[in-house]
Amino acid sequence: MLSSTDAGSRRESHHTEIAATASTSSPGRASDRTDRKTTVPKVSNNNAQNFLNGLEGDFKLKHLGLLGVLVWFLFLHVVGIFFFTKGFLLTRMVLENKSSCDVLPLADTSVKKSDGCWHKKSFDKAVVLIIDALRYDFTVPFTSDVDAESDPLFYNNIPVLYETAVNTPENAFLLPFIADPPTTTLQRLKGLTTGTLPTFVDAGSNFAGTAIDEDNIVAQLRAAGKTLVQLGDDTWQSLFPDYFDANLTRPYDSFNVWDLHTVDNGVTEHLLPLLHPANATKWDVVFGHYLGVDHAGHRYGPNHPAMATKLQQMDKLIRDVMAKLDDKTLLVVMGDHGMDQKGDHGGESDDEVNAALWMYSKKGIFGRTSEENVKPPAQASNRFIPQVDLVPTLSLLLGIPIPFNNLGSPIEEAFAGPNGNNWKNLVTVNRLTSAQIKRYQQEYASVRGAEEGNSLQSIELWNAAENDWQNIPWVGKSNPSTLRPVYDSYRHYQRNTLQVCRSLWAKFDEWSMAQGIAILLAAIVLLVFYARGIRTGQTVLNNALLTSVGAGTGVGAISGALLVLIGVVASPLIEESVLFAATGGILSASWSLFSRPKQLTVPLPKTLWGWLAIVFTVAQSVGFASNSYTIWEDEILLFFLSTFGVLAGVSSMRQKLTADRVLGVYHSILFVILGRVASMSRLCREEQMPFCRSTYYSSATSSTSAPWQLIIPLILAFVLPTVVKSFYAGSKSYQGAAPLWIGSAFRLGLFLVAVFWVLEGADDGEWLPMSKETLKSSRVFLAQLVLALAFVAGTTAFIYTKPCISINVSQGNNDPEAKGKTPSFSSAGRTTVTILGFGNVYGTRYFLLVVNFCLGIILMQKPMGQGAMGLLLWQILSLLEILDTNGLVTSNSSIGPIILAVLGSFYYFKTGHQATLSSIQWESAFIPLSSVQYPWSPILVVLNTFGPQILTAVAVPLTVLWKRPLQLSEEATSTSKASNPAIRILSDAIQAASTYILYFATINVATTMWAGHLRRHLMLYRIFSPRFMMGAAVLSVVDIVLILFSVAGVRWSILSVGDIFGW
Amino acid sequence: MVSSPASPTATGAMSAIHVNNNSSSSSSSSSSSSNSGGGPPPILKSSPPVRILPSQLARIYSFAHPAAVLLGFAVRFPQLVNDPVSEMLNALPFLAASQVVFAIICLPPAGGSLDNTPGSSSSGATPSGTSSSSSNIILRPGRPARRKGGSGGSGGAGAGVGGGVLGGLGGKVIPSLLALILTALLATPVLAILLVLFGAPFTTHHAQTALCAAHMALLTAVPLVYVHGVDGAVWREVWGAGRPADAVWGAALGTCVGAWLGAVPIPLDWDRPWQAFPITILAGAYLGFAAGTLLGRTKWVYGKRLRFAEEGELADKKRE
Repeated sequence: MLSSTDAGSRRESHHTEIAATASTSSPGRASDRTDRKTTVPKVSNNNAQNFLNGLEGDFKLKHLGLLGVLVWFLFLHVVGIFFFTKGFLLTRMVLENKSSCDVLPLADTSVKKSDGCWHKKSFDKAVVLIIDALRYDFTVPFTSDVDAESDPLFYNNIPVLYETAVNTPENAFLLPFIADPPTTTLQRLKGLTTGTLPTFVDAGSNFAGTAIDEDNIVAQLRAAGKTLVQLGDDTWQSLFPDYFDANLTRPYDSFNVWDLHTVDNGVTEHLLPLLHPANATKWDVVFGHYLGVDHAGHRYGPNHPAMATKLQQMDKLIRDVMAKLDDKTLLVVMGDHGMDQKGDHGGESDDEVNAALWMYSKKGIFGRTSEENVKPPAQASNRFIPQVDLVPTLSLLLGIPIPFNNLGSPIEEAFAGPNGNNWKNLVTVNRLTSAQIKRYQQEYASVRGAEEGNSLQSIELWNAAENDWQNIPWVGKSNPSTLRPVYDSYRHYQRNTLQVCRSLWAKFDEWSMAQGIAILLAAIVLLVFYARGIRTGQTVLNNALLTSVGAGTGVGAISGALLVLIGVVASPLIEESVLFAATGGILSASWSLFSRPKQLTVPLPKTLWGWLAIVFTVAQSVGFASNSYTIWEDEILLFFLSTFGVLAGVSSMRQKLTADRVLGVYHSILFVILGRVASMSRLCREEQMPFCRSTYYSSATSSTSAPWQLIIPLILAFVLPTVVKSFYAGSKSYQGAAPLWIGSAFRLGLFLVAVFWVLEGADDGEWLPMSKETLKSSRVFLAQLVLALAFVAGTTAFIYTKPCISINVSQGNNDPEAKGKTPSFSSAGRTTVTILGFGNVYGTRYFLLVVNFCLGIILMQKPMGQGAMGLLLWQILSLLEILDTNGLVTSNSSIGPIILAVLGSFYYFKTGHQATLSSIQWESAFIPLSSVQYPWSPILVVLNTFGPQILTAVAVPLTVLWKRPLQLSEEATSTSKASNPAIRILSDAIQAASTYILYFATINVATTMWAGHLRRHLMLYRIFSPRFMMGAAVLSVVDIVLILFSVAGVRWSILSVGDIFGW
Repeated sequence: MVSSPASPTATGAMSAIHVNNNSSSSSSSSSSSSNSGGGPPPILKSSPPVRILPSQLARIYSFAHPAAVLLGFAVRFPQLVNDPVSEMLNALPFLAASQVVFAIICLPPAGGSLDNTPGSSSSGATPSGTSSSSSNIILRPGRPARRKGGSGGSGGAGAGVGGGVLGGLGGKVIPSLLALILTALLATPVLAILLVLFGAPFTTHHAQTALCAAHMALLTAVPLVYVHGVDGAVWREVWGAGRPADAVWGAALGTCVGAWLGAVPIPLDWDRPWQAFPITILAGAYLGFAAGTLLGRTKWVYGKRLRFAEEGELADKKRE
C-alpha cells in the first residue's frame, strides 16, 4: 500500500529547476530572487535589499503585535478566573497551634493532673466505632402507614441503639449527627477529629500531602500518652501516619466498593479480642471503621436485602461489644455521613448529611435536661447536633485538651449527669470550650488580618457570657435557675461562632463569581470573532485593536484605582483596578472590532469540518453539566477523535488525486488506530469504578510502574525518531539539520530517558548492587542532561538553524519544464538549482521545536505515559498529513487546531491523569531535582501534568505550516506591504493559535459556569470543582505556551526560510 | 511499518517557485490547495439513486418494512435488555430474512436488469423535481452493460429477460445471497472493528460487539449489496459517503449516524439496565435505519449528496 503512493511525491519532493543568470553571484538567496523576476524590469540589487529589509522589519513588527493581542487575551483569562475563584473556592487558614495540657484557655480554673487535663475525665478508655454512612433513619424505629411489604429494607434492622437509649437513658443516648459537606469520608474524618469545618482548600503548609497538620483529637490522645489502635478503613493511615500502635493496628483497603465484607470482618476479628480483659492494658483508644454499610449503599443502594443483612450484622456486633465492655470504657458508634437514595454521598442533601451518633457506657453518667429529650428524636431534623461536637465531648470525657481549632460544643447529654441536672458541670465544660473557641478566634483573626471582621461580633457574645458567669452569686453556683442562663449564653456564643465561620468558609461570593464569568464570556466572544470572523486578516487589524485595547485598559485601570481611592467601592485597590482594566479593554476592543462591520464576517463555519469543530467543542462543554460526562471525559474524547479519523478517511476517499486518496486514507486509519492504542493507557478515577481497569501503574493500588513497562522508553528510543524521519522523508525533507536533530540528538535523549527509568526501576526494585545515593545522583544527572538537551541546546539551535532543505547547483541542465517557464534565458548559461525538501520547508523547520518539547515532556512522564506521548507525536504527524491531503492546511479550517486541542486533552488522561487533585503526580518534580526548588519544581509538575496540552499547543502553527507552499512577494505588485506572504502566514498562524485557545477557553468557561451553577450539587467537590480548576489551569498554561513558544517559534521559522529564499 | 510513503522519484518539477500568491490560479498549480477536500465526489460514472420498485406491493411494503423492523425491535426490547447476547443472536436470522425480503420485494437487484422494466424506467426518469439526479440519469444507457460485467454475470443475465415477478425471482436470489455473504464476511468485521475503534471494549464483550456489528451490517449492507453488487464506482462513493440519497443509502447512513448518537446515553449514571454497552447503540442504529430509509426517499432529500464543503467555498479565500 505504501509503495503505491509515488504520486504523492507530486508535492513532497520539489526538485526545482531554475535557470539562473550567470551574472548573479551566490546560488542562495540573491540568485533566487533575481531570476524569479523574469517579467519585471531589473531592479538594482540595492533597492531589492532595502525592500526585503522592509518586509522583514514589517514581519517582525507585526509578529510582536500578534503577541501583544495574545498577551491581552491571557490577561483577560487570568482576571476572569481570578474573580470567579475568589468567590468560589473558599479557603481557610490552617493554624498550626496545638492545645496543651498545661496551658488552659482560662486562667481561673485548674484540675488535678491525675484526673485529666482541662476537665475531670469520665473515662480512661474508649472504643470509637465508625459505621461509614450510617444514616440516622436507619437507627430509629419506623412504623409504616401501609403494609410492611413495601417498607424500605433499611428500616428496623439496627434497633440496638434506639433500644438502649430509651430503656437505659443513663447508659446511652442517640442523636442525629449532622455532617458538614462535603460528605466524603476523608473530609469527614478531618472534621470529626479536628472539630472544625472543611473547606475545599485548607491552605496549610502541606498542600500536597493528605496528613492532617492541624491540632486534632488523635494527636492530643497520642500526646497524652495513650496507646491508639486503628482498625478498618486505611484513610486513617494517610491522615494520621505513625499515630497508631503498629502491632495492633489493622488498616484495610477502602477502595474496593464491591467488597462488602473484607473490611468489616477484619475489624470485628481484631476488635473483639482487644476487649478481652486480658488485653485491657494493651490499648487505650480503639478507632474501628466499618465500611460495609457504605459499600452496600454504593453497590446496591440502601433499599436492598444486602443492606438489611449488613445492618443486622452491625446490630449484632454492637451487642457483642457492649457485652464485653468494662466500666472504664466509653463506647461511641457513629456514622460519618449518610447516603442519598442511591446510596451515594459527597454532597449536602439531607439524606447525605444526616448521620447518627450513639454513646454508651456501663457507668450510667448520661442524662437529659428535660423529659421530652429522653427519647431519641424521630426525625433527624429535631435536636440534631453538628459533627464538630464530637471533638470537645470526647476530649473532655477522656480528660485531654480540646484541640485548638475546635468549633464544636460539648454534647449536653454527656455532661448533664444521670439526673439531668448537673448544671454546674454543664456550665464548666461549656465555659472551657467557649474559652478555647475564643482563643482560636483571636489567633485566626491575628493571622488572617482584619479581613474577616464579622467574627468581632461574636466576641461580644463571649463577653456577655463571661459577664453572666462572673455575676452569679457564689451561693447560686449550684442552682439550676441561675446556672441555666449562663449555660445558654455560652452555648449561644459557641453556636454563633460556628455560624460565622460556616458563612466565612462555606458561603460563595456570587457577585465576584458573576464578574469572573462575565469577563470570561466577553473574552470568548471577542476571541470567536478574532479567530473566526475577521475578513481582512488579523495582522491588518492589529494596530487599531491594540491601540484601543491599550487605551481602554489604561483608562479602566486608572478609573478603577480612583474609585477605590475616592472610597466609592471598598475593595482592594489592585483588584478593582484590574477589574476595570479588563472591562475597559473589553469595551474598547469590542468598539474597535464591531464599529467597522465590513471587516467582520459571521463566524459560522461553511464546511462540514467547521461544524464538526463546533460540535466537538460545544458538545463537550454542554456535557460538563453532567457529572457522568465529566467522569467519562477520556472515553468521550476518544469517541470524538475516532469520529474525526473516520470522517477524514471518508473525506480522503473523495479526493481527486490517487495520491491524496491513498495517503489520506492511510493516515486516517493510522490516526484512529493510534488513538485507540493510546486509550489502553488508563488511570481510573474512583467514580469510574467498577467499569474501568487501571493500566498506568503496575496495579490499581500502586503508583509505581510495572517492570515490563520499562521496555516502553527503550522502544521509543528506537522507533520514535524513525517515525518522525519517515514523515520528513515523505517530502524529502530529511535534510539539513534534521538528521542530526532527529536521528541523533532526539534518539540520544530518548535513550537517556530509558536509562533514567531503568535506574529508577532499579532503585524501586533493588536490582542493581549500587547504593541508593549513587543511583539517585546519576539519575538526576541524566535527567538534567536530557532537559538541557531538549530545552537549552534545543531552543538555541532552533533559533539559529537553517531550514531542512538541501540545495544543489549544477550547470547545463536541460529540463523541459524550466525551458517553458523561462524562455528568455534558455540561450544563456544555465544553472540548475535543485532544492530537496522544498515542499515542506516551513513545516519541517518548525517541527524541530515540537521534537524538543516532546523529548522534554517524555522525560517527565512515567513509562506508560512516555508511550502515550510517543503515540501523540505520531498522531500529530498523522493529523498534519490528513490536513494536507484534504486541503485543510491552506484553507484555514478550524478543524486542525481543534483536533489538536482534543488530542491534547485526550492524552492528558492517557498520561496517568484525571480531573482530580489526587491524580497530580507530585513526585515528578523530583525527576531532575533532588529537592524542591522554586520556580523549577512547579514548572516540572506542570510539564508532567499538562505535557500533552503543551505539546499540542507547540504544534498548533503546524496546522497552517505543514507542506505549505512557499510563497514570496513580488516587488512589482507589492507596493503595499500587506500582501507580503510571510505576513499572511503570520495571520494564518495566529488564527490557528486563537482557534486552539478558543477550544480551551470554551471548555474553561463551561466548566466555570457549571461549577458556579451547580455549587449546591452533591458532586461539587468531587467532580465539578476539580474539573473547573483543571480547565482554568490548562487555559492559562496553553495561553502562556502559545505566546512564549508557538507563535514565537513561527518567527524563527519564517525568518530562517526568508533568509534562504527571500521574502 | 511506519512511514508516510516515500516518493521513489523526484518527479514533478515544481514550477511553484515563481509563485505569486494572490491569484486563485496559483493555488491550482501550488499543489495542496488544489484538492479542495470539499465538493461533490469526483467520480461521476456511478449509478444514480435507487428507486423503490414501482409495483403496488413494493410501495406499500417499503413503508411497512422499516416500521415493522422498528416495531419488532421495540417489542423485543425488554428481552434485549434482559439478555443482550442471546436476544441479539436469536433476532439475527429474523432480521436477515426480513431485510432480504424487503430487498427482493422493493429494490432492483444488482445486475441492473430489473431496472429496465418499462415501469421502472419511466419512474426512473420521472421529472419529479429531482433535478440533481437528472444529470446522472443521462448516464443510464451505458450502465447495464457495465453492470453485467460487474457482478451479475451468471444469474442476472437470465433474469433480466423477463422482468416479471417469476422470472425476477431467480435474478433476485443471487444478489440476495451475495448480500448475505458479503454482509457476514466483510461488513460485520469492518463494523466490529469500527465499534472497537470508537471505544467499545477491546478485551471483553466480544460477543456483544460482534453481534451489534452483525445487526448493523444487516441493516446497512444487505440493501446496498443487493442493489449495487460489487460495483466499484458505487462502493467508492459509499466509502466517500458521497452516494446520492435514496432509501438504500439513507438506511446505511441513518444506521451509522443513529449508532453514533446511540453512544451518547451510555456514560450517564442513571443505572438503567438498558445503558449496557450495545443496547443504546443498537437502538440508535434501528431508529436511524428507519428514519434514513424513509427520509432518503423524500423529494427534499432524494438524489442529494452529502458535502464536506460548499462548492467554491475555498475559491474565495477569506483574504487577499
